[in-house]
Amino acid sequence: MHSIEPNKHLVLSRVFVTGMGIISPLGDNVTSNRHALVNGQECISILSQFPSRFAGHLPCGEIKTSTETLKQKLGIVSIPGVTRTSALAMHAFKEAIDNAHLTDEQLQLSSTALIGASTVGGMCLTDELYRDANNHTGSGSEYVTSYDNASATLFLQSQYKVGGIINTINTACSSSANAIMYGAMLIKNGFAKRAIVGGADSLAKFTINGFNSLFILSHDPCTPFDKGRKGLNLGEAAGFLVLEKEEDIAGKKVYAELTGYGNSNDSYHASSISPDGDGPYLCMKRALQTAKLDPKDIDLINAHGTATENNDETESRAMIRLFETPPPFLSTKSYTGHTLGAAGAIEAIFSILKLEHQEIYPSLHFKEPIESTGLIPQLKYKQMQVRHVMSNSFGFGGNCSTLIFSKS
Amino acid sequence: MFYIHHTACISPQQTFDNINIEQLHDAVNNKLLAIEPAPQGIPPGILRRMGRAIRMGLTSAMSILQKISAVDGIIIGTSKGGMEDCIKFLNQIMDYEEGMLTPANFVQSTPNATAGQLGLLTKNKCYNITHVHRGLAFENAVLDAAMQVKDHPGSNYLVGSVEEISDYNYNIEWLGGWYKNEEVSNKNLYNYNSNGSIAGEGAAMFLVNDVVENAIAKLNVVKLFHTRDENLIKTEFLQLIEKFGEPDLFIIGESGDIRDNKYYEACELVIDDQTPVARYKHMAGEYPTSSAMATWLACHLLNSSSIPQHILKRGNVADKNIRNIFIYNTYKGKQHGFLVISKK
Repeated sequence: MHSIEPNKHLVLSRVFVTGMGIISPLGDNVTSNRHALVNGQECISILSQFPSRFAGHLPCGEIKTSTETLKQKLGIVSIPGVTRTSALAMHAFKEAIDNAHLTDEQLQLSSTALIGASTVGGMCLTDELYRDANNHTGSGSEYVTSYDNASATLFLQSQYKVGGIINTINTACSSSANAIMYGAMLIKNGFAKRAIVGGADSLAKFTINGFNSLFILSHDPCTPFDKGRKGLNLGEAAGFLVLEKEEDIAGKKVYAELTGYGNSNDSYHASSISPDGDGPYLCMKRALQTAKLDPKDIDLINAHGTATENNDETESRAMIRLFETPPPFLSTKSYTGHTLGAAGAIEAIFSILKLEHQEIYPSLHFKEPIESTGLIPQLKYKQMQVRHVMSNSFGFGGNCSTLIFSKS
Repeated sequence: MFYIHHTACISPQQTFDNINIEQLHDAVNNKLLAIEPAPQGIPPGILRRMGRAIRMGLTSAMSILQKISAVDGIIIGTSKGGMEDCIKFLNQIMDYEEGMLTPANFVQSTPNATAGQLGLLTKNKCYNITHVHRGLAFENAVLDAAMQVKDHPGSNYLVGSVEEISDYNYNIEWLGGWYKNEEVSNKNLYNYNSNGSIAGEGAAMFLVNDVVENAIAKLNVVKLFHTRDENLIKTEFLQLIEKFGEPDLFIIGESGDIRDNKYYEACELVIDDQTPVARYKHMAGEYPTSSAMATWLACHLLNSSSIPQHILKRGNVADKNIRNIFIYNTYKGKQHGFLVISKK
């Protein structure tokens, strides 16, 4: 195999974050999300927003705003075929572009890219999809063109007439980390001047039953990196970031520089990570290479930390392999649950908040370290010097990705 | 952007083994089903549990990966991946009222399953990604590959696409009005003057890098647009002609859906009226990543001495040396992609 060294002769633009938008169980904007993190306020609750055998008892990171209310707030009630995933995406997208002061004209330029990500897409409407997919005589529901992963991105494109390269990525639970990476690559290679990048996913019967069939859903609030962890909680969220190139950020508030990204495949199993965490180790290492940083430069890690038996142990091993003594780390999934295709984007935002405010948040519900690794996540809120933050996302199919954000 | 060294294509026509695209295979019930070769290089235990999309993707990809020692990245474009698995799991949820379900279909239901399985089978821990942007999933995969090749000189990338017809996505697309109501023959696909096309499927894979030696073709540019304005498409097309010269052959994605004709007509009007125009959806059917099949076709025609008469919409290629091919495809009149492929 070739050694895949980056091209040293290329002079690539630097990429900065100039806007962020988020809706998660922690709140419907960046400020309220940070407030919950600073206060260690977990937002896992009992599933209640849609009929399911799991409603009334399964803890989830559910956004308690109904889809109808979301659509009213966004002024999109009259548009047919808008799913909850699309509404969540629009909510976060709107905050991000407002935050970066992007104008309608800028959005419509051919130099403005939009890269979305999702794992459940429009399949959040599990019952409607069941009826449409098994119907070959009648007429379809208003959602027949909204089930795929691309539907939320295409909805945003038509609402805002985004004029540049549009894409949607699916690498399961690392989808939106790769969307961020792809947007940065477009800017660095001159295919875009700015990119709005992120992802959205909503809770669905489809994913709840899927993860339940794998026996990795916890029936209590999840406990990342704890010896007694019992699995993950599913969540829903959307997060978008505005990336801009160095030449265009004069006079703008800059939250961070995206300095590193790495992608790898664990090539071990369709739905679990290899014992030594090869994929996680490699994507963290590759992110350090693109950022031209050493392990000792990383001040904090926003771990993938789903709280499954497999993930937390293998991720810990990979961190130890790379860092020997890993820097302070936490899993924000103890606040939001696993928001699947949105996780990479919202955790990128949580990582940037740590840089912006020079702080780290407590990882929740941890009691005892995993015996074989002994790692203890950050347990208290703390102000500290943060120059470089690493954010990990791993998914089914062995798809592992790491992003590094640095103080600008 | 990059050089293409190997290709493989599974389609409803004889494009994989003993390539013969002169003879047209017929659509049945408005579906052009792929001719699936016997899979090679895939362990039987894995094969048994595999849906058709993943099977076609793996079979086509493995035929290339077996020719070289390893690749430095796997980049797949697919709108839906294994839809069959996805709906099988959905049906389990509904039919068993969210009871105890088996996870196999769930795990294979995510669109990244093909790229993931390829990584797993070939023990490849490199760059691995799946683009799912519906009618531009393949174009984005190509652009990604171009950036990877530029950023990592001397590296090899597998880029390709896969899509399957399942009863379920057929139903959904039919309900959406994207397939013809009347049963049609693919041989006359462009003559029905009605909405909708016929369903198609397939997988096409390419081994690409920055090495000109022994390349079979060069990908010069990929462009993608979201618009319903045919004038914008025409303007972009003119710019491409200005940059890359008049095409020797123009391959268009005309699908028999009359709603899309205005985009193709806008482009046909601006090229020389002697320039031959070819179509491929009577061979492949309509599906979101069909432009990958067109890309395979372009590579094949650049290296072939004859062009089947049935693909020609207009013009004569008898005494022409085909060196420069433009591909233009629209998916549902909203997503538009251009690819320019030439002899190296």
